[in-house]
Amino acid sequence: MKIVYRVVLSFALAAAGNAQVHAQAAEPMQKELDDIARVGSVMVDGDVCQRVVTPRALQYMFATDPRDPWIAGDNYDVDDASFNAVKKTLTRLSHLATFPVDVNLWMPIEGHPDKIHIVVRNKNEMSQFWTWGALYQDMFPPMETVLKTGKRLTVTSKPGWISVLAPIYNSLGDIVGLIEAVSRVQTDAHENVK
Amino acid sequence: MLRLHWQVFLFLVMFLPGQCRAAAGLEVLPEFLRPDPFGGIVAPDRSGADLRSSLYDARHRVALTGARGGYVSFHLLVKSPAPGPYTLEVAIIDPAHQVQTDLFREWFHFTESDQRYYPDALIPVRTPYSSRLPAPDNQIPQQTVQAFWVDVYIPADAKPGTLFGKAKLQTGAKAVVLPLQLVILESLIPAEDVVTVDHNSYGSSWLAGQFGDSYRRDPSRWFESDQFFGLIHAYHRIFYEHRGIFHQLGYGHSGKVGPEFAPVLTGSGRGKHIVNWDLFDRHYGPLFDGRAFSGTRRGPRPIPFVYLPINPEWPASYEFWGEPGYEAEFVNVVSEMERHFREEGWTHTNLEVFFNHKKRYMGFPWDGDEVRFPKDLNYFLEYGRLLRKALPPDSPVHFVFRADVSWDMEQQFKLLKGIVNVWCCGGGILSFYKDAPKILRERGDIVWYYGGPPSVTETSSAITELPFRAWLWGVNGFVHWLTVSPGEDPWFHFDGGGTALVYPGERFGLTEPIPSVRLKIQRNCLQDLAMIDSFKARRPLDSLRREVARGYNNSAPDDWWNPRPALADVPSDQWLSSAIDEATQHTEKVLKHPDASAWYNVQQYALKLAREAK
Repeated sequence: MKIVYRVVLSFALAAAGNAQVHAQAAEPMQKELDDIARVGSVMVDGDVCQRVVTPRALQYMFATDPRDPWIAGDNYDVDDASFNAVKKTLTRLSHLATFPVDVNLWMPIEGHPDKIHIVVRNKNEMSQFWTWGALYQDMFPPMETVLKTGKRLTVTSKPGWISVLAPIYNSLGDIVGLIEAVSRVQTDAHENVK
Repeated sequence: MLRLHWQVFLFLVMFLPGQCRAAAGLEVLPEFLRPDPFGGIVAPDRSGADLRSSLYDARHRVALTGARGGYVSFHLLVKSPAPGPYTLEVAIIDPAHQVQTDLFREWFHFTESDQRYYPDALIPVRTPYSSRLPAPDNQIPQQTVQAFWVDVYIPADAKPGTLFGKAKLQTGAKAVVLPLQLVILESLIPAEDVVTVDHNSYGSSWLAGQFGDSYRRDPSRWFESDQFFGLIHAYHRIFYEHRGIFHQLGYGHSGKVGPEFAPVLTGSGRGKHIVNWDLFDRHYGPLFDGRAFSGTRRGPRPIPFVYLPINPEWPASYEFWGEPGYEAEFVNVVSEMERHFREEGWTHTNLEVFFNHKKRYMGFPWDGDEVRFPKDLNYFLEYGRLLRKALPPDSPVHFVFRADVSWDMEQQFKLLKGIVNVWCCGGGILSFYKDAPKILRERGDIVWYYGGPPSVTETSSAITELPFRAWLWGVNGFVHWLTVSPGEDPWFHFDGGGTALVYPGERFGLTEPIPSVRLKIQRNCLQDLAMIDSFKARRPLDSLRREVARGYNNSAPDDWWNPRPALADVPSDQWLSSAIDEATQHTEKVLKHPDASAWYNVQQYALKLAREAK
C-alpha cells in the first residue's frame, strides 16, 4: 500500500512538474504565435485565398455515391498559382517564430455555414482542429467567433498545443477565412511522417 | 438392425475427425489447407478439401518433393481431444547437414468479421517443442489442435536424392511417430525472381508502437538507438528471406521528413547543403552494401530499391518553388547526395525519386500520387529537368524516377517517356492496356502494379494471384501497399490482416518481426514462378503461361486483360470511378476466383517440369 502511495505520489508530482514546464514554455510561445497571427491577418491576401479551391472541387465536396466512396476526394482540385502564392506567405510567416510553427489556412464554405475546411497546410502538419483526411468539418465555435468578430483568439484545448486564430480579409473588407498559427510545446520528429 | 449398426459404424470411422478416434495424433496438411483449432479446415479453404491426404503416400508416410534452392512446406497438426502437455519433434535427417527444418507454431487469430479462428502469425520454435493443449497463451476454449508450419529448406548445393525423417509426438507415456520422406530433385530454383514483390510501409513511428517494451526502455533516444536501426534491418531481412523487398516511405503528405530517412541540411538558397549523414548512413549503409543481410540463407546483397526523401518540400523549400532558389537548393543537395553515394560505392540500389502526396491533403497543389488532372504533369516535367541538372549523365549511381499511376497512366506513359522510368500502376486500369508492359519494358522502364494483401478470411491461394498476375501480364512486379500494420489487437480481435503480412514478435520474447502463413505461401509461389519461368528456354513462355493459367483457375492468359474501353479516349479528369468498375467487368466475369487448390495445381506443374528436366 505504501509502495502504491509512493508510486502514485511520484506520478502526480511528475505530472504537476510537466504541467508547470508546459505552462512556462507555453507563455513565450503563445506570444510569438500571437505576433505571427497578427502579422498574418494583414499579409495574407483574402482575394487570392478565395481563388484557391476550384468550383469543381466545391461542387463535389459534399457529393456521395454508394458506387464511388472517393468521389469528393477524387474531384478535389485547386488553382495552383493561387495555392502557391498563399502557401509561400504562410510558410514565411512561420519563419517569424524561433520554434517549429505551421500556419494553416481555413475557409468557410459558401452555402454551408455550419461547415469549414482547411485549404492550405504546411510542413509539420500540425493543427489542433484538422481530422486527418477530412475535406470539410463541422464549424468549430472558436473559428466561428473569429469569422464573426474579426478578433484573434488563442486556443489551448489539447494539452501541450497552442493555436492562435486570426481573420483574413479580401479587398472588399470582408472576412473570408482565418489562419491557424499552431505549435506544440514538445514536438515529435516522427509524427506525421506517414 | 444389425445392418444399420454397421452403416453407422462405417460412417463414424470414415467421417468423424481424427481426434475422436485416437487419443492423440499427428496429421499433415498441404500448405493450402489452413487448419482451425478444432480439427477442421478453415471455411475458405474447404474448396480444396480433396487435397487433405495429398502429402501421404500409400504407406501413410509423408512424401515431400522439392527442387534445390528453395523450400517445401506443410502444416503439421498436433491433435489431442483431452487437455494436457505434449512434446513435438520434427527432423529430416541429412548426413551432409545441408537440409534444414524450421518449425513455427501457428497462432490462431480470432477474426472479428466472421467470429472465427484463422492461423496466420508464425512463431519460430525449436524442436523438440513442449507445450500443452489448449495453448495457454492463445486462450481458445475447447482447442483440440495445435498447428505448426514446417519449412524444409533445401540449399542450392544439396545433393539430389532421398532423405528420411520423422515427426514424433509424445503425450505422457505414449508416442506417435509419423515417417517423413523428402525427395530432392536435381533441378535448381533460380535465386533471382521473375516477379519482384514489394512490401510497402510509411514512416517508422509504428515501430515504437509495435515494439513498445523496447521503446519504453529509452523513449527519448530510441529512434537513434542500435535497437531501432536493427529493427528496421530485421524488417528488410524477413521480406528478403521470403523472396520479397521492403519499402519505407520517409516523408509525410506535406513534406516533413523523418530524421533517419534524410541527411541533415543547413542554409538556404545557394547556401543550402548537407551537414550530417550520420543517421542516414546508419539506416541505409548496411542496406546499400548488403551487410544487413549477412547470415541469411539468400546471402548478403544490396537492396534493389529504396525511396529517397525527395519531395516538394525537401531538399528545396517549397516557398521558393518556381524561383532560382528552388533550383539551387534542389540541384546542390541532390548533387551532394549523388557524390556521397558514389564515394561510398552504393551503386547497386535503384534510388527512387517518388512523389506520394495528394492535393486533397492540402500540402501541395498537385497530385504526386495517381495524377488525375493532366495539368499536374507539368510538375513532373520540371522535376525531370531538375534531376537532369543535378545528376552527372555518366553517374554509376542509379537514380530512378518513379510514378504511381492510375487514371491518367496511358497519357503519362507517352508524355513522361524518358523522365519517369519506374511505373507503379493501378491494376484495374492497367488491365485496359495489354500492350503497355511490353512497350515500357522494351524502352528500359520497370513496371509494377499495386494492390493489397488478401485478408486471412479469403482462400489461401488468394495471395498467389498477385504475383501470378504480374508474371502473366509480363510486368516486373507487384506492390503490397501496406504490410506491417496488423491492427490494434491482431491476437484476439483481428481485423483480418489486409494491411499486414508480418507481425511484431515482442509478445513472444522476440526482438524482430515474425512471418505469416500468407507470406510463406507467397514465397513458395514466387519460387515456383521462378522455376517455371526458367524453362522458357525449352518451351515458349506463352505456352508456359497458358499451362499455368489453366491449372490455376481454368483460365487463358487473355482472360486476365480487359478490352480497352471507350472511356480511355476521354480525358481522365472526366472519368467516373463507377465507369472504371464497369470497364473491368470482363475479367470479373470470366475469371473464376482461385480455390484453395489453385496454386497446388501450379506447384505440381512446376515439379513436373523439374522432374522432366532431369
